[in-house]
Amino acid sequence: MGVKKRKNETEETERSEDGDFVDGREKKKKKEVGESKKKEILPSMIKNKEKRSEIYAKLKHQKKVEKRKKIKARDAAEKQALELGEEPPAKKVPRTIENTREFDETVCMPDDEELFAANDADEFSSIIRRECAPKILITTCRFNSGRGPAFISELLSVIPNAHYYKRGTYDLKKIVEYAKNRDFTSLIVVHTNRREPDALLIIGLPDGPTAHFKLSRLVLRKDIKNHGNPTSHQPELVLNNFTTRLGLRVARLIQSLFPQDPNFRGRRVVTLHNQRDFIFFRHHRYIFETKETKQADSKGKKLKDEKVEKISQEKVLARLQECGPRFTLKLISLQHGTFDSKGGEYEWVHKPEMDTSRRRFFL
Amino acid sequence: MPRTTTLECPGCPPLRALTFDSLGLIKVVESRGNRGIAHVVERWGSPDSTKCVLAASIDDRKQDPLLAVARKNGTVEVVNPLNGETKISISNAGVDTEVQPEDDNIVGLHLFRKHRQSSSCNLLTCTSKGDANLWCVKFANSSSDNASIGDSRTWKIGSSGHFLCSKVDGSETYAVFGGKGIEVNLWDLEKCSKIWTAKPPPKNSLGIFTPTWFTSVTFLADDDHRKFAAGTNNHQVRLYDISAQRRPVISFDFRETPIKAITEDRDGHTIYIGNGSGDIASVDIRTGKLLGCFLGKCSGSIRSMAKHPEFPVIASCGLDSYLRLWDVRTRQLLSAVFLKQHLTNVVLDCNFDGKEVVEVQNVKDVQIEDETVALPVKRKKTPKEKERSKKKAAKDSERSNKLRSKKKSRSLESQIDDDS
Repeated sequence: MGVKKRKNETEETERSEDGDFVDGREKKKKKEVGESKKKEILPSMIKNKEKRSEIYAKLKHQKKVEKRKKIKARDAAEKQALELGEEPPAKKVPRTIENTREFDETVCMPDDEELFAANDADEFSSIIRRECAPKILITTCRFNSGRGPAFISELLSVIPNAHYYKRGTYDLKKIVEYAKNRDFTSLIVVHTNRREPDALLIIGLPDGPTAHFKLSRLVLRKDIKNHGNPTSHQPELVLNNFTTRLGLRVARLIQSLFPQDPNFRGRRVVTLHNQRDFIFFRHHRYIFETKETKQADSKGKKLKDEKVEKISQEKVLARLQECGPRFTLKLISLQHGTFDSKGGEYEWVHKPEMDTSRRRFFL
Repeated sequence: MPRTTTLECPGCPPLRALTFDSLGLIKVVESRGNRGIAHVVERWGSPDSTKCVLAASIDDRKQDPLLAVARKNGTVEVVNPLNGETKISISNAGVDTEVQPEDDNIVGLHLFRKHRQSSSCNLLTCTSKGDANLWCVKFANSSSDNASIGDSRTWKIGSSGHFLCSKVDGSETYAVFGGKGIEVNLWDLEKCSKIWTAKPPPKNSLGIFTPTWFTSVTFLADDDHRKFAAGTNNHQVRLYDISAQRRPVISFDFRETPIKAITEDRDGHTIYIGNGSGDIASVDIRTGKLLGCFLGKCSGSIRSMAKHPEFPVIASCGLDSYLRLWDVRTRQLLSAVFLKQHLTNVVLDCNFDGKEVVEVQNVKDVQIEDETVALPVKRKKTPKEKERSKKKAAKDSERSNKLRSKKKSRSLESQIDDDS
């Protein structure tokens, strides 16, 4: 593929800069003579490394020049349009995997009354409607070592009203029963493998669903540069991009872990951002700063106007400081009811036959 | 890996399916025309989680069809399946006030098809605590509103355990029940007496006894009450023959998750099984051999399946809130309809004739036909177009542009990864 691309690229450059490049003309002549000769020009077909790299470098340079020209032309057009008072040409939106996502009929519509009815009827509605406060039990797999304990201590600082219980040798089903009797609303199990946390099990408690996540790219607080220390205020929660029915259900499951009345004084925010079915967890502190002094200095020298100072005073900047763990979750399965590995019914399991396209997402 | 999925839905023969979900809604899905695409036509009821449908049974005769629906709040409704009009609603709690309906759900419901008069119907219900009820429900016409429950017969089919499944055979004189901690047992409905009980399979070589837990049961043929197949929670499918022995004749495993739905074919030896992780397979029960699996991105537990008596089509539904229609012979997905809620039951109305509706709703059907005509043409075109475009690409620089954009997206991806 790469070869073809390069070939096409050269053709393009030839066409655009026909008058300037003598080489291009020659090449064109050659192309007209025969296709076999054209193929020999491709750098990947040249066996001599020196020559190949030379030609390749040439091609690359051409490409660079081309690109620069294009940008210049675009900027010029924009400038001209602005000067003439016209509407500048529309900015092109790059095609990404997300915005070329395959059509999915399970994506929630905001005017779907059935959706609201289903949300009201689901297992988390009592917590989300603030009828009862969330109370979370955190436990581990049977052998917990390495980064597991540190991760749990950080989870405890992130999630308010979370309690750590040692796993011991109890069955998970018994722990579920225990937690039910003690009025816990969710159960989190951190699974470690080879001393690395690698899976997270979130169980909604009286009869809620069980979500099994793969946990990866875990960075603990102490490994984050310039990290902050979270306060004990109740955090704000940001859930991004959960669009489908399944995504919404997972989002509500996660939402039910946190109290629904954030303390905005704490300026603490927990973010769960879904992108291509990966859920990114971040924990930040934010601050709004008015950067008057700095801007007044830099611009005051030049203009020395009072107006500038006024504007700069009004300018508010938000700054973020990351604190707490940073990790990525990927949903493996969502089970109906509490944890039951043998007799459980799945609401959603990932199967290999579902991976038919890179542009198909489930959350 | 192919770059895009074109969901191949060849369309299905004209049929009408009714689905029941956890919010108590009844949705009617129809496909019209020869190769129609199934879509939701009607929705009955208002969303209410206490009205979650637990069981449903249909009598789809030509004249005066009926549909019985058992709900979570202990009521049984008899509904006209053509327009959704409720004929009578019976409360289970009214009959038996001692038992609270919350922990004693109806698990089995059957609407008798034979010996049915136009103004009454017979119902068999079975609750999870083991109360079987045989009701004669009289519903008057709309002029005089005195629908009433006629004579009802209640008897205990078991005191311990938790009933989960029941099924009435084709002659409607026998019923089989099973559940958690209850071996399947056969009852004579006329005498209300138990005539046969299964025996648990022996302990295995390690001396481990797996507790009984039947989740689904079905008779193999309409005219034979002696053979039935049952699915268990520990992913076993068993065939019982009451004329042979009390232990299963054949028993085999299917995958790793519990069998949740079992349905029989008309031919008397093929059964379709669906399990808790969304796998459906057809099995020849005479040998216990797997004929094949139904592949179609089915990701949630199968709660119910129904076989169409004439067409080679089965309908399946479950927790992934899709109603799927499958071709039995090719085991291909014919159509999938997203119905937004966790579905609990599906029944097929086999007297539905697509042509009847054509006269009434001419415009709609013409459109559908147009689409169906247009589809094969498109399919024919696509390979040619591809070839053409390939030829073009060799000459044009379009392709390079595409590739460039691809590279861009790739670099974006990597950026995203870096960010995270």
